Parts: sequence; structure tokens; C-alpha cells
Amino acid sequence: MASVSLRKLEKSYGALRIVKGIDLDIKDGEFVVFVGPSGCGKSTTLRMVAGLESISDGEILIGDRVVNKLAPRERDIAMVFQDYALYPHKTVRENMGFSLKVRGVAVKDAETRINEAAEMLGIAHLLDRRPGQLSGGQRQRVAMGRAIVRRPQVFLFDEPLSNLDAKLRGQVRTEIKRLHQQIGTTIIYVTHDQVEAMTLADRIVILRGGDIEQVGTPDEVYNKPQSVFVGGFVGSPAMNFAKAKIEAGHVCFANGDRLPLSAIQTGKETAFDGRDVIVGIRPEHFVTAADPAITLTATVQVVEPLGSDTLVHFDMGGETLTARMPPDMRPTVGATLRLGLDPSKVHLFDAASERAIG
Amino acid sequence: MTTSTLTKTDRTDRQPPAWTKMLDLSDRALAVLLLAPAAILLSLIIVYPVMRLIYTSFFSLSLTSGLPAEFVGIENYQLMIEDPVFWETTWNTVLITLITVPGALFVGLGLALLANIPFRRQWPVRLSLLIPWALPLSFAGLIFAWFFHSEYGVVNDVLSRFGIEGVIWFNSPNLAFAAICLTIVWKTSSFMALIILAGLQTIPRSLYEAADVDGAGRIRQFFEITLPLLKPAIVVALIFRTITALQTFDIPYMMTGGGPGTSTATLAMYIHQNTVSFLDLGYGSALAVVMFALSMCVTAVYLRIIRTKE
Repeated sequence: MASVSLRKLEKSYGALRIVKGIDLDIKDGEFVVFVGPSGCGKSTTLRMVAGLESISDGEILIGDRVVNKLAPRERDIAMVFQDYALYPHKTVRENMGFSLKVRGVAVKDAETRINEAAEMLGIAHLLDRRPGQLSGGQRQRVAMGRAIVRRPQVFLFDEPLSNLDAKLRGQVRTEIKRLHQQIGTTIIYVTHDQVEAMTLADRIVILRGGDIEQVGTPDEVYNKPQSVFVGGFVGSPAMNFAKAKIEAGHVCFANGDRLPLSAIQTGKETAFDGRDVIVGIRPEHFVTAADPAITLTATVQVVEPLGSDTLVHFDMGGETLTARMPPDMRPTVGATLRLGLDPSKVHLFDAASERAIG
Repeated sequence: MTTSTLTKTDRTDRQPPAWTKMLDLSDRALAVLLLAPAAILLSLIIVYPVMRLIYTSFFSLSLTSGLPAEFVGIENYQLMIEDPVFWETTWNTVLITLITVPGALFVGLGLALLANIPFRRQWPVRLSLLIPWALPLSFAGLIFAWFFHSEYGVVNDVLSRFGIEGVIWFNSPNLAFAAICLTIVWKTSSFMALIILAGLQTIPRSLYEAADVDGAGRIRQFFEITLPLLKPAIVVALIFRTITALQTFDIPYMMTGGGPGTSTATLAMYIHQNTVSFLDLGYGSALAVVMFALSMCVTAVYLRIIRTKE
């Protein structure tokens, strides 16, 4: 096991900067997930850590070694690829044992390691099959097995679940989490799926346009998003945003609704007077209490019953809001309702910088 | 004026026109119908000529004699066994196959690996791969006949610049044979390279990246990943190349005309000589049947190899 440090890490293709000076320290044994939309530089960063992509500037340290110029084989890492990258002409056993064979590990020792990993992943009965004879989920496990037998200092996962169907993705996700709990090795995991990031990570690194937008635990990025981007990216359905202005200690919406700033912010309310803001409210933070502390007026547009709960889409002075309501709630389309809010869950962002206020 | 409404009974009782029943074929009949055009075409252009060839090989049919065709059974085949030129040309054909097929494979593999290296402008390399393949065989034969010409050939010129005395390539059976083999390898390796290049491009890059992470160097990657995954493409290329090698005609015909003597003549050239020059269709057909059988045997062996791999 080892820590991983990225120091002002850059990647450019000509004038195009893909990764723009990332600084990050990943602790020994930590499970860190890079998440962000397509093109944000998360896979490129992972590939630079693996040594599959050259570094334009900066440093990568694995443990206390600078590995910038080391080949992938010298970095003591193992990687699980998006398309699994299993050798199609080799059996599962040969796939898992290839790195051990290349490194000259004794046959008996290699066999023990392969069997242990296969047992751990429940693929012992598949060892003599070829990848073409396996299902997607089984291939994914073999790819993980191939990484495990190496006993590397760091595991790298590049969107390993993106080729699986939703049900299988959930299962394998749980297995990856259990695997980390069992072996405790440092893991860097790349995904564009915020649910994967939230469920797996000790810490989430949210990337945007080659820069780190926010680093934090799943609770931190969910409860204290530092920008509109993070607020909108983390959580499903996405956070609602509505434009407003702060006037006389109140957040004033276009439809005339006013929220007392004192209920949302503490301390610096008056400092924001006259400022344009973006109010962020998560769909699950609308409340149906009989006497909510604060309310918004909105017109019901669409009702989506999901069984476990009901999603209701509202129009509030031209802004569309989504609220997660109890399953038995079926408001009439066109009806105007007073939506209750938990003030402690309301987020304020500066309209110009889109960064969190307070 | 009466009005009619469409009742449920009307709808269910209405029968489709009788002629549509003719189109209501069983799966088997439909399969036969769909395959029939291809089967008829193949019969006309392959099965019939082959059958006719085998049939003619049992006749004495020489257009120069003016005599009618006479059934002679296996006499043409007996003549063949006693014919030293048949054995010499067959041996030359087999030798050309044994030398030029692996030769073209190795050169083609090398060229394909070079053409597969990622660099900015790949098209000039790929175009240069295509040129030898696109040249007509007889044209290639003519070019190399000039290359190896004893007086004004570029090969002797290059040799003389290194202080080596030029040789009369086409006077010596061995040198003439070597020149022909070199020409065939040059001409056919581009075909091998194209097929292998297509195979190389189907190997996902991530396999090499996984091997990099696993610790395998370039040479190990070639033997552990590239070569095993190229096997299907190589086998296909070998089948085509071997069959065309067994039919070698144009290049030796243009370069040496089979000489000196018959030392560089191939079986295809001997068939041509008997049927076109001597108009001995019976004996020529028997020779052609042997060449056909040889090609079929090689194809069968390769197909068996593929099936075993599967």
C-alpha cells in the first residue's frame, strides 16, 4: 500500500490543456473517486498515474517515489480497464497469472495467489474458461482478479462498471467496496456516475474542465457543495437552481417569494445586500410539514410516481423545480402549492462566480 | 341505395387471393429458392468447368493431330508419372511455394508492423504498401527482369559498386530461381502486409496497455498478444498466398520463360505449354487436374488448422 500525490499535474496536447495543474494527496489505503462529466480530464489523470500517458508538467509520487519517468510496469500499480482488456486467447487462469509469470513469480506461489483471488471473487469455477465464454459481470471480476493477484501498491479503476447493465452494476459496485474493505489497498477510481462515486468513495474528487472543482467526503460534497457545478452534479435528481436577489436581509425570487436570509445563513447576512444569487435546493429537501418554516409558491407541471416516492415538477416564476414527495402524494397538474423548505438545507451561490456563499 | 357495414364475419371469412398461396413457401422451399441463383452461378462457372476438365483428362485430344477425341482412361495420368518435365515443374512449383510463402509472410508481417506504428502521416506508408499489390504480375515480372539484366540491370550495377562482379542471372538455374523467388516475395508481401495490417488494427490498444501494466516488454507483448491474436488473419493470408503460389505463372514466364531449359518452369507454365502451345488438351487437362487437387489439399489442411483452433 502507498499514498499517491499529484503535484501541479498538467497534461496538454499542443495548445490544448486537458489537465490544468492538479494538486492532490491521496492517503495510504484511501478509496478516492475521480468524478466529472466527459472531457473533464479524469481518465487522463488516471492514465498519467498509471504511466500510460506522459506528463506535460508536474509530479506524481507513489509512496515517496517520483514516478514521472517510470514505465507502468515499474510503478507497482494494477489497473482495471473500462473494456476489461482481458487477453482473449488466454484462459482466466492465464489472464490472472500473466503478470506473475512476467515477473518471474514461482509457479506454485502464483497458483496459490490465483486461487485465493478467484475464491475471493467467486470465479474459481471459471479459471479454465476463456473471456469469450464469460458474461460481462464475470469478465469484470476476472479483470479485478488480475489486478488483485499482483498485490500492487495502488489499484486504478477506469470506469470499470460502464459496460454493465444497471442491476449488475449495483452488484459489482458492492463487491468492489467489499474488496477494498478486505484488502485495504489504495484505490483511485474513475467514473462519470455520481452514484458510484457517492457509494464507493472515502473521498470524492470532482473535476471540471481539467481542474479540481471540489474534494471532500461524499457527505461533504452532498451537503456543502462549493459551487453550482458540484451542487448540480452530485445528487439524483439534480439540485434545483433558481435565480434570486438579496434585499433587506431576504432572498427575493422573481415570483415575489421571499426567504429570510437569517433562516438560511448565519452571521454575515447584511454583507450580501443587493447581490444576485443562485439558490440551490435539493428535490429531497422540500418538506410537507403542516407548518414549515419557510415556503415557496409554485405551480404543478408534471407528476412522476416512482413507487418509492413521487417526483413533482413545478414552475416557479419561470424557473423549473423538482421536488421528491411522499409516494402517496398526487398533486393536481396546474394547481398552485406552497412548498415547504428546510432552511438549513438551502444553498446560496454567488450568481457571477457560481461559488458557494458563506 | 343500400349501405353495407363490415361485420366481424365478413372480415374473418374473406380469403386472400389464390395466387398469394403460391408465395406462401415453407422455410425449406424459401431457403432453396434464395440459394438457387448462387448455386446455379457457381455450377456454371466452377462446377461445370472442373467436371469438364476431369472428363477431358480421360481423353486423348490433340488439336494438332486432327483426330477425334478418344477415351483413353488413365493413360494421360500414366504418361504424367513417366514425364520428367512434369516432376521437375511440380518440384519447382512446390519449391517456389515453400520459399515465397514464408518469405512473403515474414516480410509482410514486418511491413504491417511498421505501417501500424502510430505516426502522423500514415497514408504514404500504406499507399506504398498497396503499390506492389496493385501492379499486374506480368508487369512486376518485366520490371524485375530488367533489374536482374546482366548488362543494364540495377542489381548488377549495385553489386559492382561494392566491388562484386556482376553475374548473368538468367543463365544459372539457381540464380534465375533465386531472382524469381525474390520478385515473388516483393510482389506478394504487400498482400500479406495488408491482411495482417487489417488483423493488427482489430487488436484493442487496451490489451497492450494491460500488458504494459502487467510488466510485459515489447518483445513479450509481440509473442504473447500480437502473434496469437493475428493467427486468424495469418491463416487466411496463407491460404490465399499458398493457392496463388501453386498457380505461379506470370513472373517466371516474363523473367525467364521457364529457362534455362525447364529449370524455372512451373506446373502452370507446363499446363499452358501443353494446352496453348502444343494444343494437347487431354494431357493438359490431366496436368490441370493434378494442380487443382494440390490446391484443394492445401486448402483442406489450412481449413483443418482453423477448425482445430476454433
